[in-house]
Amino acid sequence: MLLAIDTSAGTSVAVVDREGGVLSESTTVDTMRHAEVIGGMIRDALAQASVTPGELSGVAAGMGPGPFTGLRVGIAAAKAFALGIGRPVVPIVSHDAVALERYAWGHIGPLLVVTDARRRELYWSTYGGVDELGIPLRTGGPGLSKPDELPEAARRAAGHASALAELPRYDATSVSAGQLGLLAEWLYAARRPFAEDRPLYLRSPDVTPSSGPKRVTA
Amino acid sequence: MSASRPRALEGIRRATADDLDAIMAIETSVFVTDAWSRELMQAELTAPHSFYLVVERDGAVVAYSGLRAAPSVEDADIQTIAVAPHARRLGLGRALMHQMIAEARGRGARHVFLEVRADNPSAQQLYDSLGFERLGVRPHYYQPDDVDAVVMRLTLQPVPPTVEPQPPVEPLPPVEETPTVERSAPVEPLPPVELVETAPSNGGFRQAQPAVPAVGSAQPAARSTQPAAASARPGAVAAPLVLGIETSCDETGVGIVRGTQLLANVIASSMDEHARYGGVVPEVAARAHLEALEPAITEAVARAGIRLDEIDAVAVTSGPGLAGALMVGVGAAKALAVALDKPLYGVNHLVGHVGADLLDADGGPGRDIELPTIALLVSGGHTSLLHVRSLTDDVELLGETIDDAAGEAFDKVARVLGLPYPGGPQIDRVAADGDPAAIRFPRGLTLPKDMAKHRYDFSFSGLKTSVARWVERREDAGEPVPVADVAASFREAVADVLLRKAIAACVDRDVPRLLLGGGVVANARVRQLAQERADAAGIQLRIPALSLCTDNGAMIAALAAQRISAGFGPSGLDFGADSTLPVTDIQV
Repeated sequence: MLLAIDTSAGTSVAVVDREGGVLSESTTVDTMRHAEVIGGMIRDALAQASVTPGELSGVAAGMGPGPFTGLRVGIAAAKAFALGIGRPVVPIVSHDAVALERYAWGHIGPLLVVTDARRRELYWSTYGGVDELGIPLRTGGPGLSKPDELPEAARRAAGHASALAELPRYDATSVSAGQLGLLAEWLYAARRPFAEDRPLYLRSPDVTPSSGPKRVTA
Repeated sequence: MSASRPRALEGIRRATADDLDAIMAIETSVFVTDAWSRELMQAELTAPHSFYLVVERDGAVVAYSGLRAAPSVEDADIQTIAVAPHARRLGLGRALMHQMIAEARGRGARHVFLEVRADNPSAQQLYDSLGFERLGVRPHYYQPDDVDAVVMRLTLQPVPPTVEPQPPVEPLPPVEETPTVERSAPVEPLPPVELVETAPSNGGFRQAQPAVPAVGSAQPAARSTQPAAASARPGAVAAPLVLGIETSCDETGVGIVRGTQLLANVIASSMDEHARYGGVVPEVAARAHLEALEPAITEAVARAGIRLDEIDAVAVTSGPGLAGALMVGVGAAKALAVALDKPLYGVNHLVGHVGADLLDADGGPGRDIELPTIALLVSGGHTSLLHVRSLTDDVELLGETIDDAAGEAFDKVARVLGLPYPGGPQIDRVAADGDPAAIRFPRGLTLPKDMAKHRYDFSFSGLKTSVARWVERREDAGEPVPVADVAASFREAVADVLLRKAIAACVDRDVPRLLLGGGVVANARVRQLAQERADAAGIQLRIPALSLCTDNGAMIAALAAQRISAGFGPSGLDFGADSTLPVTDIQV
C-alpha cells in the first residue's frame, strides 16, 4: 500500500493498493496553494482509505515535469512523510501517470502528453503504447518547448516512423496521484526501474551570474 | 398525561458541605480504585471557584458534578461527574452537564475542558453530543488502572443562547450514557494545551520529563491524592521534544530541542551556490532546500540520539522569508507531522531569532530570556527592531529597514570593493586594518526629521550608493582605493546606525536589555560596538552563540516548545508560507 503525491500541476494525493486499486484520492487543480493544502489532503486521503501511516510500504512521488515552486512542495512532502514512516520514496515521472490513465481509458497507440509549464511554454512526453502489463512506454521526453515548436520536437523525440502523421495529443490539467501510485505499484511488482530521484524542473534557475558591480555615477 | 407516573427526580441543586457524606458514598462506589479522599472532596466543595451540583432523587443524592471556573478566566474545567449505578440511564449526566456548561458560560468562560477515560465510549458519546471536540490523548492518565485520558473541549459562543432557559432536568428518554468516570484532579486550572489533533489510541503527547507542578493551587492535598492526574494537567508539558525546520532563506536548518535544551542543530547552507550571483537567488535556494532537507532531518535525529517518533511536535518557519524556499519546509513539515501523527506548529522566523537565546549551543539546560527586552535582528534578509514583552504572545515591531537589509548592504559593498560573496566576513576581514574614521559615510535615517518619523527604521540603500560613489570617484581620478579604510568606515556606519537606534529603543521604552540576533551579529565590530554602547547606557546585552544567531531550525523548535509549554495549541494543517508574516503573528 502506497501514499501517492503529485504537485506537478495542481495537488493530488491518493492511497493505493496493488490488490485494491485506488483506495482514496483527492485532487485540486489550484496551482497556487500547494503548500496550504498538502497536509490536509494527506491526512484526509489516509482517513478516507482508513489507513494509518504505519500500514504504508512507501510513498510514490510525482517528480514532474512541473513548474518548480509547486513541484517541490509535493516532493518535499513525499520525502518527509517517507522519512517519518521509515519507508522508501518511489519516484515516478508525472506524465507517465497521465499516460497510464489515457491508456486505461481506451487510448491505443502513440500518444503525446502535454502539461502547462507556464511562461508560455509546455512540458511534453511521447508514448508509443503500452507493454504487456499495461505500463506506458515513454518514447520521448519529458521535454520543454514553446507551443509552436512542440509538434516537431515531440515527433522528433518519438522517432515515430510516420513522422508526418498527427500524434494524438492530450493536454492534462491535473495529474492523478491514484494513477501515479498504481504505476508505482506495478513497476515495483514487475521489477521495473523507477524514475530518477531528481525533480524534473527542465529549466535552470532564472538568474545570470553577476557581471560585476554597476556604476552608480554617470 | 395525568396517568403518566411523575418523574422521580427531585431536581438539581448546588451542593453544600452537608452533602459530603452522600457524595463520598457515591465517590467510593463509582471510583473504586482512584476515589478522592474525603478531605480533598471537602476542599473541592468549598473552594472559591468551585461549582458543585447534586441530583436528589427520592430524597437521596444520586449524582453529583463539579466545575472549576474562575470569574473572567476563559477556561473552565469539568472536575468530576458521577452518577450512582442505580440512577443511570435517566439522563442525569446530561442534565448536570447542561447546568455546568450554563454556569461556565455565566462566569464568562469561553472554553470548557474535561478529561474522560479512553475506555468509556458512552461517556465520550455524551460529550460529543454536547458539542465537545477531542483535542488529544493523555497516555496513562488514570492510575492505578493505567488508562489513557481523552482531552475534550467545548467552545462556548460569546452570546448565551436565547432560545429557552435550560430546564433543571431534561426530560430525555433513557440513553446509554454512563458518565461516571470522567474527572480530573482538582488542581488550579492551567492554560490547557491542545495536545494532538486527533485522538489515536496510541498517540498523544509524550511527556518528555515530569511536568511542572501546577502553581497557585488552593488544594495542596490534590497532588498527593492524585499524583498521576496532577502531573498530567493540560498545559503542564514542561519540556516538549520538538523538531524544528527552517528554510526561509539560504540555510536549510533542522534543530531538535527538549524545552530549552539543544539536542541537535544541523545547518546545510547553499551559500556557495549563490556566490557567483553575488546574492541569494531564491530559486537556487529553494532547490537546495529540497535536496538538503531529508539528509538534515536524518542527521539531526541521529545527533540528538532520539527516534523520530519520539518527538512531541513538529515546528516550521511559516514566514517571513522567501516564499518558494519557505514552501519546501512547510510542505515537508506538514507531511512529517501527519506521518508521525504529531501536532504541527508554524512559527515566525524573526521571533525564532529571539528564541535562539533560550538555548545553550553546547547542549546545556538553556535559560529563560529576561523580559521585556529589545531585540535587534540583523541578517541578509532582515533588519528589525523588536520590543519583546513575552516570547510566546507579545512581540511588537518597532521598526525595520525601509530598503536593503544590513547584510545585503555588506554584500553589495563587498562587490564594489571587489571582494567575494558573502560580503560580511570579507568586509570584516579587510576592515581590521582600516581606519573607521577615515571616511564619514552617511548614517541613514538619523537626521532629526528622520528620527521623528523613522525613529526605529533603518535605511542602507543610500549608504551603499554613497560608498560606490566614493570608490568610483577615486577610480576615475586614477587613485588607488584604500579598501581597508573604506571597509572599516562603511562597517562603522552600519554598526553605528544599528546600535544608535537599538539603544534609543531601550532608553525610550525603559527596557534595560538588548538581545542581538541574525547572521550580521557574526560581524566583530557590530558585536564590539554593541557591548560598548550597552555598557555605557547601563543596558544588559545578550548575544546567542553564532551558530544560533544565523538561521537555524533549533530556534524554531525552541520557540514552538515555549508556545507548547505556555498552552498554545497547534497550527493545524492549512497554513501556507507567508513571505511577509508580521512579528505579531508569533504562530500561525
